Amino acid sequence: MPGTIANNLARIAIVIAVLALWEVLSRTGIVNPRLLPSASDTFATLGDLLQRAAVRKDLMVTATEVLAAFALAVPFGALIGFAVAENRYFEDVAKPLLFFAFSIPKSIFLPMFILVFGVGFAQKVGFGFFSTIFIVIMSTTTAVESVKMEHLTVARSYGATRVQTAFRVYLPSMLPVLLEALRISMIFNLTGVILAEMYASRDGIGHQIATWGENFQMKQLLAGVVMVAAIAMTFNELVRWVETRCSHWRT
Amino acid sequence: MQPLANVTPLKPPARAGAIEVKNVGQVFRGRSQDVVALEDVSLEIKPGRFVVLVGPSGCGKSTLLMMMAGLRQQTSGTITISGAPIPQPDPDRVGVVFQEASLFPWLTAEDNVEFPLALRGVPKAERRAKAQDALKLVGLDGFGKRHPHELSGGMKQRVSIARGLVQDPPVLLMDEPFAALDEQTRMTMGDELLRIWAATGKTVVFVTHSLTEAVYLADEVIVMSARPGRIVDHLQVQLPRPRTYEMLSGDAFGSLRDRIWRHIRKSA
Repeated sequence: MPGTIANNLARIAIVIAVLALWEVLSRTGIVNPRLLPSASDTFATLGDLLQRAAVRKDLMVTATEVLAAFALAVPFGALIGFAVAENRYFEDVAKPLLFFAFSIPKSIFLPMFILVFGVGFAQKVGFGFFSTIFIVIMSTTTAVESVKMEHLTVARSYGATRVQTAFRVYLPSMLPVLLEALRISMIFNLTGVILAEMYASRDGIGHQIATWGENFQMKQLLAGVVMVAAIAMTFNELVRWVETRCSHWRT
Repeated sequence: MQPLANVTPLKPPARAGAIEVKNVGQVFRGRSQDVVALEDVSLEIKPGRFVVLVGPSGCGKSTLLMMMAGLRQQTSGTITISGAPIPQPDPDRVGVVFQEASLFPWLTAEDNVEFPLALRGVPKAERRAKAQDALKLVGLDGFGKRHPHELSGGMKQRVSIARGLVQDPPVLLMDEPFAALDEQTRMTMGDELLRIWAATGKTVVFVTHSLTEAVYLADEVIVMSARPGRIVDHLQVQLPRPRTYEMLSGDAFGSLRDRIWRHIRKSA
């Protein structure tokens, strides 16, 4: 499709323009290069950092925390969301409360997590879990509601067992909504873990970024930002790619 | 093994496809009061007949159909299909065709048709062969690989009919299957359904709002009234088959339709 190619070219042009502007502003001194190191310097620093064992270890620490929090929050949240959506009484009673809880900024609870878990792995995983679970619960209830009554009746009229109904009707009906939920949950999860690292931690990439900031190491700081951004975008695009493959299910 | 001569078969073939509804009532328990959806409904449908249920909204015609499908249990009375009660859905005895949007959008047409077979673990090759036959029967040969969103409304309902027929049940129950189609497609689908019915010899019970559709398709039309749902008339449509478009403007057709309309106007 020519339209898609043109759009892609336009997108690449915008990215190049932004990088070029960044480079020019810094090189010419319009913006103080100590505040804004040039794009080329930042990417060179990024390359250096990725060579360092300490930085690689920080990335591994963060990745482990993020995955642990995600692996806990998604099934737990999905289970609760399912229970809420499938039980009429529970839905009437509990859903508004979940909405209330969802509206509270999760970051204000961070000091409590430090008091309860201390500074370390559990605190960050716990906070990541807490930041993520509400969106998982909410999305799952939406996903369950997207299962059509007609489809359930069809399955019943052809003698489907509970397990067959779960795998052949619920799961495929819910999958597009669940994938989107997974994607958005990861954004919340990553934010939670990195925030927890920046607030109080001894390791992790969030902690490193905070330290570079405090020490006015702008090149490293910006390189860290690029690093985390790249990781987040990669995950997002991966899920989105799967999503588009089953987008016609939504009809 | 020698066949045992003195064993009576579980479902005598002579009764296959017969439907008997005796003094059936259905009460929905409401919060403040109970609603009587159906009251003392009795009817007998002989194998191979094409019977249409009509009536105003809320007359319980769909409820009656759901009970024949085993999807809902009556509060009182008995329903038998092929001579036996139907306490839960039994795809061997009854195929159901629903309104539009009952196909699974994530499955291709043939996978949708195979769905009832897949539930019972029929081997893949056999499933595919049966689905192909059913799709051919409804005039969709070669469309098996398409997803529902790639099919027109009429084609989707053909797939639904194929799904209802794939296990070759003697009874086909149809709940307003063409309600969402435009008038032209609806007429074509009516003719198609009559062709399929003639080819398969199924007992068909068909629910509709359209009086024209009712008279055009049916051997018998059962007219129901609302609140509580009761049978107010049971007419035999003596028009010759095959039915043709010209019959729609004939006197016989008109007087049958008028008779149904008078019942419905009275109770609505």
